[in-house]
Amino acid sequence: MAEGTAVPASRPTIRVQGAVKSFDGRVVVDVADLTLGRNPVEGLIGPNGAGKTTLMRMIMHSIKLDRGKITFFGSDGSSEGVVISSKPPHAIARLGVVKTNQVIQDFEQLTIWDSLLLSASQPRDERAYRIYREGRVWSDYGDEIQEYLDYLPFDNPFGFAGSAGEKKLLDIIRCLLLRPKLLLLDEPTAGLPEEMRQRVMELIRKKATEENVSVVIVEHDLNVIWSLSDYVHFMAEGSVVLQGDPGWIREHETVVEKYLGKGHVGR
Amino acid sequence: MNLDWLSQYTVTVLILIFTTMGLALLLHLQLGLTGIGNFGIVGFYGVGMYAFGMFLVHGPWPESWGTIWPFLLSLLFATVAAGLAGLLVGWLIVGLDADGVLLGTLGFATIVYGLSQTNRQWTGGAEGMGTTDYPYSLGTQKASTLLWLGILAVVVALILYYVIRVHRSPYGRLLIATGQNEALARSLGKPTFRGKLVMFATSSAVMGLLGALYGVMLHYIRPVELGIGVTLAAIVGLVVGGAARPWGAVIGVLLVGVLFELVFMVWIPFPTDWRKQALPVIRQMLYGSTLILVLMTRPLGILGRMRRDKTVRRPGRG
Repeated sequence: MAEGTAVPASRPTIRVQGAVKSFDGRVVVDVADLTLGRNPVEGLIGPNGAGKTTLMRMIMHSIKLDRGKITFFGSDGSSEGVVISSKPPHAIARLGVVKTNQVIQDFEQLTIWDSLLLSASQPRDERAYRIYREGRVWSDYGDEIQEYLDYLPFDNPFGFAGSAGEKKLLDIIRCLLLRPKLLLLDEPTAGLPEEMRQRVMELIRKKATEENVSVVIVEHDLNVIWSLSDYVHFMAEGSVVLQGDPGWIREHETVVEKYLGKGHVGR
Repeated sequence: MNLDWLSQYTVTVLILIFTTMGLALLLHLQLGLTGIGNFGIVGFYGVGMYAFGMFLVHGPWPESWGTIWPFLLSLLFATVAAGLAGLLVGWLIVGLDADGVLLGTLGFATIVYGLSQTNRQWTGGAEGMGTTDYPYSLGTQKASTLLWLGILAVVVALILYYVIRVHRSPYGRLLIATGQNEALARSLGKPTFRGKLVMFATSSAVMGLLGALYGVMLHYIRPVELGIGVTLAAIVGLVVGGAARPWGAVIGVLLVGVLFELVFMVWIPFPTDWRKQALPVIRQMLYGSTLILVLMTRPLGILGRMRRDKTVRRPGRG
């Protein structure tokens, strides 16, 4: 299908150009030219060690690039992008490029509500002299947070996230509260119970189609990729080797040979 | 008013305890919430003390201003000077790991101690310099000192109030998040370096103010006031009380201070010739061993860990 090449100016996209990263002399990522976000939901797949997570972390600038440039184009339709590969991580998040974590991350002493309020709060709420701001923060963001908590319930939202699944879920909601324009999900459903997994996928689909968020998913559970994504990038040995519709990718000889294997259940 | 039951020494020690409490509360913001282990507290305190003294003594004050304006402006100057020192040191250290922070702040305190002994014409060198009496007079020295204790208590109460409010504000949440998982906070769009720097500089400024206020009580400031003991007392107090809790600094410093400074040094009738040499040294050892004992048996202090699951609730809805 030709749809993948047409760029609707209204979608937020990221363009990765000549990005190289090596660890101890071994090239882990070498992407010549890749644009993410042209479709509502895109999948990024590939065998272990293909460089998917590293690429994501390079985009978020939690890993420094050896070479290359990463540019973010917001949804305002202007052709002028913002070069994010020279920006600090917090500035990238503020621009609307947000990533969930593959490895579980949490604030040990912050409760679930705390964590979510933190994520929703703006810099103007967090000045050192704003010591009476708490009520305002609850009234500004409380209802929005409550909606998420109703849809994705926790055992005790005033307590701490207990299980790995709860922490994973918390991570996803934190990211959504940042009001992302381009959302990178690194194995978002790993460790979630089946019902939650369905709900998260529905929520992501809704964000992508109704709120114009560009979603990029890295996932080993290929059922998620085949059912959720509109377009798939296939990475192997550090670079993107194939791009196309999910149906086309899953039948492609190279993908089958390098990744899926003959008779793979994910097919 | 009859104040015979209260010795001048006890009032002085109470001022020391309140000053330490203020320092421990500020350290609670730095270490307990944000995870910056400042071992150079006495450096910022010393910058404030000496900046106050030098500005007051050497400042070109017009006669017509009387005594109170130069006094207040010098306090302000001391606070700003310590804040600037905090900004500089903070800029150098808040991006470092725990070891770097420890060594950097300790080094800063050593530099301040060294500087206080040089520049004789400004600081008086090793002999120190006379500064000023209280900017008021209540007849006896003891009554005046008692009022100063009251003023200091108000300042410390204000710091405590601020700290408690910080725990219940989005700013406190940001500090805690930064202390717990800085990378994650950054990924949520929080400029953690700037946040830490601002917090470090402002709390250092107030440490400087406390140093200046203590310097007023001393009337005569000497490098010997800037020893490690000040830092140690604040750290031990905070850790004993509970570094993660706002009241930890208050309870810990009161306990340690009253026990070691009043009970041990004043109320227990040790032979007089012990007081000059042996007791201060033994007291230092008591501080050190208390710290070790608490860290071994109850590392989170008397009050224990932060309990946000018990305190954070939607306002107005129960």
